[in-house]
Amino acid sequence: MKFIFADSLDYVDPAFDFIADRSPAERQPYWDDAYPHEILGYAPYDGVLVSRGIIGDHRVKGKYTSSQARRFHLVGARKFLRLDKPQFKDLDIFGDCGAFTYVQEERPPYSATEMAEFYDECGFTHGASVDHIIFDFDPAATGMAGGSDDAKARFDITLENADAFRREALAMDASFKPLGVVQGWSPASMAEAARRLVAMGYDYLALGGMVPLKSPEIKLCLEAIRDVIPSSTRLHILGFAKADDIDGFHGFDIASFDTTSPLIRAFKDAKQNYYLPGDGLALRYFTSIRIPQAIENPKLQRTVKKGIFRAEDLVAMESAALSALRAYDAGGADIDDVLQAILIYSAALVEEKSYAECRDSILLARLAVRYRETLMEKPWKQCGCPICATVGVEVIIFRGSNRNKRRGIHNLAIYHEHIERLDLKRAVHRPYDLSRSLCATKR
Amino acid sequence: MTYLAVCARQSDEHQVLTFAATAGDILRFATIDRIGRSAQGVLSGFQRPQVAAHIREIRDYLEKPNAVLPNPIVVAFIQGVTVEAREEGSARLQIDVSSGAPGLVVDGQQRLSALTELDRDFQVFVSALICRDEAELRRQFVLINNTKPLPKSLIYELLPSVDDLPPRLSRRSAAAEITARLNYENTALKGYIKQHTMPEGSIADTVVQKVVMESLSNGVMRELVRMPKGEDRCVKIVSNFFDAVKRVFPLDWHGHKPATSRLLHGAGIQALGDVMEVLAQRADARSIDDFEEGLACLKGRTAWTSGEWHFGDEVRRWNGLQNINRDVALLKHYLVGVVKADLRRRAKAAPAPLLDGLPDA
Ligand SMILES: [Zn+2]
Repeated sequence: MKFIFADSLDYVDPAFDFIADRSPAERQPYWDDAYPHEILGYAPYDGVLVSRGIIGDHRVKGKYTSSQARRFHLVGARKFLRLDKPQFKDLDIFGDCGAFTYVQEERPPYSATEMAEFYDECGFTHGASVDHIIFDFDPAATGMAGGSDDAKARFDITLENADAFRREALAMDASFKPLGVVQGWSPASMAEAARRLVAMGYDYLALGGMVPLKSPEIKLCLEAIRDVIPSSTRLHILGFAKADDIDGFHGFDIASFDTTSPLIRAFKDAKQNYYLPGDGLALRYFTSIRIPQAIENPKLQRTVKKGIFRAEDLVAMESAALSALRAYDAGGADIDDVLQAILIYSAALVEEKSYAECRDSILLARLAVRYRETLMEKPWKQCGCPICATVGVEVIIFRGSNRNKRRGIHNLAIYHEHIERLDLKRAVHRPYDLSRSLCATKR
Repeated sequence: MTYLAVCARQSDEHQVLTFAATAGDILRFATIDRIGRSAQGVLSGFQRPQVAAHIREIRDYLEKPNAVLPNPIVVAFIQGVTVEAREEGSARLQIDVSSGAPGLVVDGQQRLSALTELDRDFQVFVSALICRDEAELRRQFVLINNTKPLPKSLIYELLPSVDDLPPRLSRRSAAAEITARLNYENTALKGYIKQHTMPEGSIADTVVQKVVMESLSNGVMRELVRMPKGEDRCVKIVSNFFDAVKRVFPLDWHGHKPATSRLLHGAGIQALGDVMEVLAQRADARSIDDFEEGLACLKGRTAWTSGEWHFGDEVRRWNGLQNINRDVALLKHYLVGVVKADLRRRAKAAPAPLLDGLPDA
């Protein structure tokens, strides 16, 4: 089972100075920054997926700047992602249209020909056909029953595009592997789409529209699809948001899936921000400590504009929290004192009040419980990955992209190992076993 | 706190004095009050929030041993000060900080914030303005902060002659230098670029700078500029490209202005900048002939001076393209698409180089 990381310019600045809290003045974004496979020194994934929608163009607003987009088109995916080194040559580069970026449109903005040319010119190893997301999932609908007119129109568009896309790829003798995308409004309609894609000649299918579905619903779809396609047909799950449940998907013979979830969770999840291997085949999660930049955080800035806090006072609370945490990490502070310093600042952030006014708040109390666990366990000391080994306690601080994305990249490393441990077909490879078992004995 | 200050005769209603102090001392007698409203909706304070990036840039500068900061921090008082006049326009200024800082920083808060982070004994001038009430003080703030900034194109033109700039400006400076050379040396664009000092030019200097800056940061010039005589190579490649443009579209170029030909217009120049990149990076074009060969496929498929552009399902009259992001992107996508398709076609048509590597080939 291949874990493909869905990239969206997820890089960090290796020269970032955590104490001064800044990049060198001469830093040039992208050029001086490091992708996960660069900062770690190895790839924490089996491949990378780049969505056309993330790159963007005049029709779809992407995440790339226009000059980055232009460079991507000119030099191709592998060179742009800096995977053009011998040690990364076996990494796959998947492409899809990023159907979420044009869900509102009646038709996808890209033609099958255009996408095939794009994948071919930019050196993708795998390219997904041009799909159109279908909403209103109905797990109970049987056969081709159910489905709104819009859903049926999108179903047809997706299949017509898949047919044209495959012919186009064959005609141009494309160097990428075409994947036919499955879209449907129910397990049965998805199975029908999969059956037709196989009839067209596809032997690698990608399941689209999985992002809003819960794990049991995804399993229903997989079951229905597996029932009607040959066992040799490979399956990919596009945008697999439930990546942490992957061990429950073993029976479906998934060849690959892409997700960005371990990275995103580092700064989008309320609680589960930092991953460690847990008991058996599970993962264990920790809450990161939120200490945002006082003069950059929009919420704190609002309190200043409204006259609730003075910026100078927020800056003082922020720096007290940071130094307390660092002192604690160095063994020079008591856990209650650190927690106190952090909560004083958190009060401004979560309650927009001074700590004295809201020390009994439920939100703060909940935060305190989770922070205490993180502080007690010091998970950053239990990981030997190049990020934790280099930046230590900074990785657990929820603050700015350089800490947050480093934590996300650490999560990718832990997650990749997790997949490899689950994947019994592959050799077991656990680079950090030693440091982990050392910590386990200490505990 | 007591300072010996110099007074200036300016107004009967206000007293204006100046003296030197460190950032630490200034913050003892003045606060950076920001605009806000009390729970009753009463407006208080007046400063915008600090801008972190700006503060950093100032701090980077001030850390240098040769840094100077001749312009003063302006602090206004409505109370807490006594001025005792002395001879020859000087005065003894006493500030009472026993019940907090009475002064308010009216101008220079970013500089002051940068100074407080500085690990250096550095004095700045303080201009103290003594006002009769808060309303007057707010009025002064608006007046002081409402000065018109210098025109951008003048600043950009001055940049190449200024050393030791922050990186943001030095990148801009390199592009400004190449743009100026294109305008004054013997190049395809000589005299065509409208600059502060070349008002008769027609192509906006900011547009040419944009093309150059893009290329320097993410395109072909990024590599060229690092080679020996890098800047000459950059000037040369742009010049060669536009010489080729003139050859391919002579009637749309000569005798035209941006208003009469989209070829000399912001949208056209920027879109052509992308075409230059494609040809330079995908087809290794460097000479006028190389570029001309790559541009030839656009003949008959453009509407620079009349007719219509056909962008897939969108049709635009020739002058319906404006220098706005969307239109520029649309034109780029179209031109680059035609050129890339042509490159693909020619690559397929070319027979495999069978004799490659043989001594006679
Ligand atoms: Zn780690």
